[in-house]
Amino acid sequence: MEIRKIVGQVTPEERAEIQALFERRNGLNELAKILSADNTDLYEKLIKDMGETGTKFQQWWDEKAKKYQWESYPHGNWEINFDTCEITLVATEA
Amino acid sequence: MNLTNMLQYLIILLDKASVPYCHVPSMMSKNKGLMPLETLRRGIVFAMKENLNIQFVYPTYELPAEYEEVIESIDHTKIKPATQAEGADVLVIEDWTHHMPDDIDGATCIIHASRIELREYLMKVKELLGRVARLNVVLTDTEAFRDEDIDSYSSLLNELSDYLIDFFKQGRLVQLNLLTDRLLLTQMNNCGVGDTTVTLAPNGRFYLCPAFYHEDEGQSVGDLATGLNIKNRQLLRLDYAPICRHCDAFHCCRCIWMNSRLTLDANTPGHQQCVIAHLERNASRALLQKMETEGIRMSNTHDIEEIDYLDPFNNYKQWK
Amino acid sequence: MEKSITFIVTKDCQLACKYCYLVGKNTKERMSWEVAKGAIDYILDREDEFREESVIWDFIGGEPFLEIDLIDKICDYLKTEMFRRNHHWFNSYRFSFSTNGINYHTEKVQRFIEKNRSHLSIGITIDGTQRKHDLNRIWKAPEMEQGLQPKPEEERGSYNDVVRNIPLWLYQFPEESTKVTISSADIPYICESVLHLYGLGIKEVNINCVFEDVWKDGDDVLFEEQLTELADAIIDGKWYEEHACSFFQEHIGKPMDRERDNQNWCGAGMMLAVDAAGMFYPCTRFAQYSLRSKPAWIIGNIRDGIDQNKLRPFLTLDRCTQSNEECINCEVASGCAWCQGENFDAADTHTVYQRSTAICKMHKARVRANNYYWNKLFRKLELQEYEEQRRKSNRKACDI
Repeated sequence: MEIRKIVGQVTPEERAEIQALFERRNGLNELAKILSADNTDLYEKLIKDMGETGTKFQQWWDEKAKKYQWESYPHGNWEINFDTCEITLVATEA
Repeated sequence: MNLTNMLQYLIILLDKASVPYCHVPSMMSKNKGLMPLETLRRGIVFAMKENLNIQFVYPTYELPAEYEEVIESIDHTKIKPATQAEGADVLVIEDWTHHMPDDIDGATCIIHASRIELREYLMKVKELLGRVARLNVVLTDTEAFRDEDIDSYSSLLNELSDYLIDFFKQGRLVQLNLLTDRLLLTQMNNCGVGDTTVTLAPNGRFYLCPAFYHEDEGQSVGDLATGLNIKNRQLLRLDYAPICRHCDAFHCCRCIWMNSRLTLDANTPGHQQCVIAHLERNASRALLQKMETEGIRMSNTHDIEEIDYLDPFNNYKQWK
Repeated sequence: MEKSITFIVTKDCQLACKYCYLVGKNTKERMSWEVAKGAIDYILDREDEFREESVIWDFIGGEPFLEIDLIDKICDYLKTEMFRRNHHWFNSYRFSFSTNGINYHTEKVQRFIEKNRSHLSIGITIDGTQRKHDLNRIWKAPEMEQGLQPKPEEERGSYNDVVRNIPLWLYQFPEESTKVTISSADIPYICESVLHLYGLGIKEVNINCVFEDVWKDGDDVLFEEQLTELADAIIDGKWYEEHACSFFQEHIGKPMDRERDNQNWCGAGMMLAVDAAGMFYPCTRFAQYSLRSKPAWIIGNIRDGIDQNKLRPFLTLDRCTQSNEECINCEVASGCAWCQGENFDAADTHTVYQRSTAICKMHKARVRANNYYWNKLFRKLELQEYEEQRRKSNRKACDI
């Protein structure tokens, strides 16, 4: 059974940071579907960007988790609601 | 308010090739086409009934005697080519680069010129300023104005301003529309087509102004048989012009015909018209400062504020 | 702020909806790849002029999915170019579609959706019950190309061809809304249609009366009756808890201040549209195929660029300058919409500053029904709350 619980909230500025990274990551993923390795320069740029964006994305969660000390579960993950800035803990109960 | 009561002037083009006194489309016909005498009579009666002041615009040839007789039956103003100056109130100097007739001395005169022509014949302009009471310069290349031209036009206005100072010092208070009109104004004083002024063309139909007639005879706003029918007339008024009602380039002609050409909407001026008017406004301000420095006093002048824009459109987000 | 950029990829459509404002639909004006690429390059080359934070790349027709191959190529190019140029829009873009839904299930459209899923917004137009939908949204018959109208008995509605794709669409885009258009003939079916759409699983129904001067005597009375009936149904059936209908909005129908509430309603001029000829427009409604009686309002083209002068009337538009005194002083002014393109088309002169008032009586009828809706809903919620409080206090009393 899935558990969903609101465990905190970030500021609108923090929300904007993660939203931009989220959008960029989606854009990169969809670009990856159409870009072939033949297009060497652009392909390399894409791979590099995907790595950097992924790192920034993870950094944001790590920093905010440390800052706000949200509740967590061993196999759970957090989600953000871009409209409300709320953080929800999502976990599956064994 | 009854809008019809706001009309004050009727311009009667006596001929299809009446002398141009304002902005004219390049396609203006040079062919003669005299207004039928009966149309002239009816036009005068219309003006009398509507309490309008008539301005007759003459062609370059002499009118038949019976026309003059009809014209003299009513109080009026005559706009005539300088070559037919007798009895004129306003003279249009068509070929101003050659010798000027004596009739221009002390007169109100109109010339058409591009900025390049003004620069090229600056001495001739100075000569004119030394003789006329008032000179109206109608710029013929407003549409071609680019932001790169700002400095050169400012410099031209500055030189004209220096000429005026010279004349003022001699006690000759000549008026030049580009520079002196703004000194005397505290509110908008624009051409007023469709609002205060309409034009009767030789075909018996009304037009907002001669330019609309010359551009396309299908743009009429009524005729002598059925009367005036100016649709959306409120849009020709200042209070319905979002850019102009926020503007203090009070002397700007706010040419409705050019608005329609440049922005496709009669109540909205194009960038060129605004920038030119503001360069003139700022040059008028500089002229006023020079006059103060030189100790020249002219009655009824008003201070002009310093501003940091040349096109009031750039401020539109602040109005909303 | 977001910029909406519309590609008019085709002026063709499988349907010939009777209320459609596109009077110049045809099969010939299809956008070529060269024109599409030219438009994209023009826009992306000028990042300093197009500074909005986000962009909506909008595709319209006719029916846009008739040109799915071109659209697919455009979107691939947009993604690649926004990325290659490090354009700020790569971080915030959408591809948006208004479709009649007929080709939604086809392999090509589905493949496109799969490729671009996280950046898509797709609205399918379904007008309500079959009888309402088929009243207006009929298939184009061959003779219509020659300007001939089919006999009523030969008209073929498109309901069945659209409704079959609704489950797939809602599965892929559960939050999407539909757009319903009301003209004179289909007023009697408004209530049943909105409820039908809710029943199909569509949670948000955006619905509006056409802006054109089509309204007959008595239409407003019938309209008000239908909306009142709909209000009862939504409230009694508790549809309001998870569904929305744009006819009912809490803050419409109030007087508006001349100065504080002077904004323009419409976004024409802030948007940009480009057609098959590579011409730019302030919105699609100013392209020739949308206009009955005026010439197209062209603001430039992909070769010579945009003439900013021709945008000035749009950017300086405000409510009062374009409205007559009756509208300015109207006691129920708020929420009364207008379309700048229809205003222009219906105006007495070549202007966007004459607001069409054809919709006036319909707005007033809507406001009366809207007032009824909110008064009834608030009373119901108040009573529920009161009941709840009473139950709680009763429980407390029992506990004691």
